[in-house]
Amino acid sequence: MNRRDLELLSAYLDGELKPADSARLEARLNTDPELAAVLNDLRAARALLRKLPTRKAPRNFTLTRKMVGQNPPLPRAYPAFRLATLVATLLFFFSFGVNFVGTQMASSGQFGMGGGGAEAYSVQEAAPQLAAPTEEPPLSLALAQPTEDALRAMDTPSAKNGGEETAPAEDQPPAVVEPLSQPQSRAPLVPSVWQIGLAAAAMVSAVLMGLMRQLAARRWK
Amino acid sequence: MNEQALIQDAQRGNLDAFNTLVLHYQDSVFNAALRILGDEDQAADAAQEAFISAFKSIASFRGGSFKAWLMRTVTNACYDELRRKKRRPTTPLEPDTGDGEEMDSPKWLADPALTPDQQMEADEVEHAIQHCLDNLPIEFKTVVVMADIQGMDYTEVASAIRVPLGTIKSRLARARLRLRECLQGFAELLPANYRLEEGIKAR
Repeated sequence: MNRRDLELLSAYLDGELKPADSARLEARLNTDPELAAVLNDLRAARALLRKLPTRKAPRNFTLTRKMVGQNPPLPRAYPAFRLATLVATLLFFFSFGVNFVGTQMASSGQFGMGGGGAEAYSVQEAAPQLAAPTEEPPLSLALAQPTEDALRAMDTPSAKNGGEETAPAEDQPPAVVEPLSQPQSRAPLVPSVWQIGLAAAAMVSAVLMGLMRQLAARRWK
Repeated sequence: MNEQALIQDAQRGNLDAFNTLVLHYQDSVFNAALRILGDEDQAADAAQEAFISAFKSIASFRGGSFKAWLMRTVTNACYDELRRKKRRPTTPLEPDTGDGEEMDSPKWLADPALTPDQQMEADEVEHAIQHCLDNLPIEFKTVVVMADIQGMDYTEVASAIRVPLGTIKSRLARARLRLRECLQGFAELLPANYRLEEGIKAR
């Protein structure tokens, strides 16, 4: 039995031969018992395979939305909330960066061309501090009568500065004093209220996004 | 069941429509996987993977036999499963027969219409056939499962496994010949009308 005959017999069994080829093979089968025996074997093997019981699926293979990665349709406003959350979060962290850089620049005294605003701010901030020593009892009097109160007042940084700078010449304008060397007394560039507002906006927006997702998932089911 | 309408709905992302198709084809898909892999758990995994993959790629279905298209995804899932099995060989949970062969007749598979003796006989015949199938090279096994067990015609099989028609004819003939030779070793198990003649050797 060669491979060609085997393929012919197999295709004949399945009715896949052209009528002419089929007729030729049938003529050979009538005269060739070996060929007929192989055909019978192939038929029996095929019948056995067809006899195999069809098993029932052990479970349903239906798919869930999770299996195929389908997400519930979200409201149209959802992207706006997502953007709001993102922007508020970024600004929140950015504000810390701005405050940090502002503090660093102020403390190192590097006020470049662009530092006019900070400088002006520093001067404004410094004004009340400068006023403080002048409002205190005259230092000459304090020095003349060194009471405990006066000594305590001199321990404070403002008093120290004021004392060093203003004591020798009281009529000197306050602007000569260097308040910028006092970073610890300067307010941040981005006020805390703004930072709290940004954090609150980010959180509220995120919570609303979560609620939208939950609602959409509930409706989806 | 309007298969065409369900397919179109599934192509638009309608999962319910696709699940209707799943319920219709799940037995065929599971059986094909079972005969190719020879293991129920693996066959169930492969069938599930095949349906997931089919849903994700249903947009690529361009008509023709949906069953053949589904069978292609099953075949691919079975190949993946076999590769996984090669990487991570597992120990079967079923008790073995003592000579190293698994007993593959769990109670839930029993046909209630058969007496215990008939059931045992049927199980043995099935075991013999599955054993012979398992000894076939995967490309032969796939063709014989599609053609002889799933009852698909040559064109459908060629479409399912993407090989030329001539290759299908050749593989099927050789697979049947090998099965015949293998099944001769189980002659005493086979019903009289299915016994194979001996003494004819193919060259």
